[in-house]
Amino acid sequence: MKKVVVFVLGPDRPGIIATISRILFEQGCNLEDVSQTILQREFMGIFIVSMKIEGNEDEVLSAIQAELEPSGLFVHLKPMEGSAIGEQTISESFIITTVGPDRLGLVAGITDVLAHYEVNITNLKAVARGNRDGQNYVMIYEIDIQPATDYHAFRTALLGRAQELGLDINLQHREIFEQIHRV
Amino acid sequence: MLTEREIISTLEMLRNENLDVRTVTLGISLFDCASHDIERFISNVRAKITRLAGTLVDICNEVGLKYGIPVVNKRISISPIAVVACGFAAEEMYKIAIALDDMAHSLRIDFIGGFSALVEKGFTKGDYALIEAIPEALAKTDRVCSSINVASTHAGINMDAVALMGRTIRRTAEITADRDGIGCAKLVVFANIPQDVPFMAGAYLGVGEPDAVINVGVSGPGVVKRAIDRARAADPSLDLGKLSETIKRTAFKVTRVGELIGRQVAVKLDVPFGVVDLSLAPTPNVGDSVGEIFQSLGLKSIGNPGSTAILAMLNDAVKKGGIFASSYVGGLSGAFIPVSEDLNIAEAARNGKLTIEKLEAMTSVCSVGLDMVAIPGDTSAETISGIIADEMAIGVINSKATAARLIPVPGKKAGERASFGGLLGEATIIDIHDDGGSAGFIKLGGRIPAPVQSFKN
Repeated sequence: MKKVVVFVLGPDRPGIIATISRILFEQGCNLEDVSQTILQREFMGIFIVSMKIEGNEDEVLSAIQAELEPSGLFVHLKPMEGSAIGEQTISESFIITTVGPDRLGLVAGITDVLAHYEVNITNLKAVARGNRDGQNYVMIYEIDIQPATDYHAFRTALLGRAQELGLDINLQHREIFEQIHRV
Repeated sequence: MLTEREIISTLEMLRNENLDVRTVTLGISLFDCASHDIERFISNVRAKITRLAGTLVDICNEVGLKYGIPVVNKRISISPIAVVACGFAAEEMYKIAIALDDMAHSLRIDFIGGFSALVEKGFTKGDYALIEAIPEALAKTDRVCSSINVASTHAGINMDAVALMGRTIRRTAEITADRDGIGCAKLVVFANIPQDVPFMAGAYLGVGEPDAVINVGVSGPGVVKRAIDRARAADPSLDLGKLSETIKRTAFKVTRVGELIGRQVAVKLDVPFGVVDLSLAPTPNVGDSVGEIFQSLGLKSIGNPGSTAILAMLNDAVKKGGIFASSYVGGLSGAFIPVSEDLNIAEAARNGKLTIEKLEAMTSVCSVGLDMVAIPGDTSAETISGIIADEMAIGVINSKATAARLIPVPGKKAGERASFGGLLGEATIIDIHDDGGSAGFIKLGGRIPAPVQSFKN
């Protein structure tokens, strides 16, 4: 069965998911996976959909656009590439947290090191937070490190980069957070 | 997916609240090292300890880095030397202590515990030899710890051993007089000593334990204090029921950290995981004090009336949280109140807010006893024995571990300062009422019979 990915981006308001899921239902599509996130007031949703009727992608897209575009939401649809479920690789999950004064190039600086060591980011949250001394920028990366990666070299490079960027950084195995907070 | 709150609160505990793993202690049985020849015995012990503990420090550091939780101390506990080296005389026992110290240095181990004897019901030749060797052994080594169990709920109190330990403590202090009697900081007298304590000076590997085992001691007084402070700031109307719940939840988190790190080290060393010791162990650093918890719970100082009640609640809440968090709990498991090792408790003793009598009362509800208490150097051996006997009685009657680690500081009087350095900290010498009035009782000797275990009153 053919699968497509639907992206929706734009100002958040109640009813976005309701509209999309109703149209997909009406078009005989099955909603497999959904993820949505909101940053400040911007909504972003990704929908993986299996099509019951081959070749009606354009029809589905137009139906959603007709309802959502008047309220400023951008909608895109594309065929899904590759196998349905990503290949499972054996890797260990770590958490990187950084805290420090906001400035240009923080995310770029850290992710450059991650890319160099082929470390994959599985989740990223970066927010500016106020405190007594002004704005602090907090970044939380959930990352997967492959067994072949030289952990010590990666750690040293990451700590070195954080120092250059004036950031307080921590790299810890994910399990410690789960053990502490979850029964 | 982890929540931001989970991640940030974990970081807070690590960075600002002194959360760490206080000790990973590798227990090593020495029964298969026994020999009638002292050189052969020492060489067997060296070979076994080196084989099993050779990578302990590196593995603890590596696991600490991976999880971002420092393992502060790496220690070894061994079978009681008085048992495994029973045939030897005091001179040879001394040689063993020197060799153990040398092994600890070369393996970068912080402390090695088990220069120990179990004499609650009586002495063997080996027990006498080991106790005789203690003063010299502790003076000439810096990483060897000694513990003597003189009482148990099942056997009663061996008062001959209590008297002997009073004299041994005096002698140990005298020959380390140039360092404020530091030898006594590595010597502890116990009732009901657990077989799997990871904390010093009481760590040894009991005879019922496996060939090798990892036991872990957590820390966390700073984390508990901050959790109480935060809870009270958020809701000033919280009562003690709610606050004990806060302590319980915090102890759960702290224990999970110890369990995780201990299990990882055990897997890498390929030895079984033993227990987590749930004791709240302070250090002489600001923000890492058990004494400060008393202030967070409304007392002006530890030592004020109400202290015993707070300690009882704290100890119980820590156990409740910790037992749920860990698969195996053991060791001492409770709050420590080591006077010199806790900045705030040392301060209370200095101000006269905390007397030896109040300390003794508090030990009836906490895990360990009169711990790291500096007393005047001229305190008589009989008075020291009297203090030990009282402490042992508390343990024996209440079916719990109690201990006395008393340091008569040579040439110094109550109110003067004694300094032991590092984790052992420094303390003001506490006043002891010593008019020689205990001597007649201590001289009687014999064994106080085991107490009845019903009709609890």
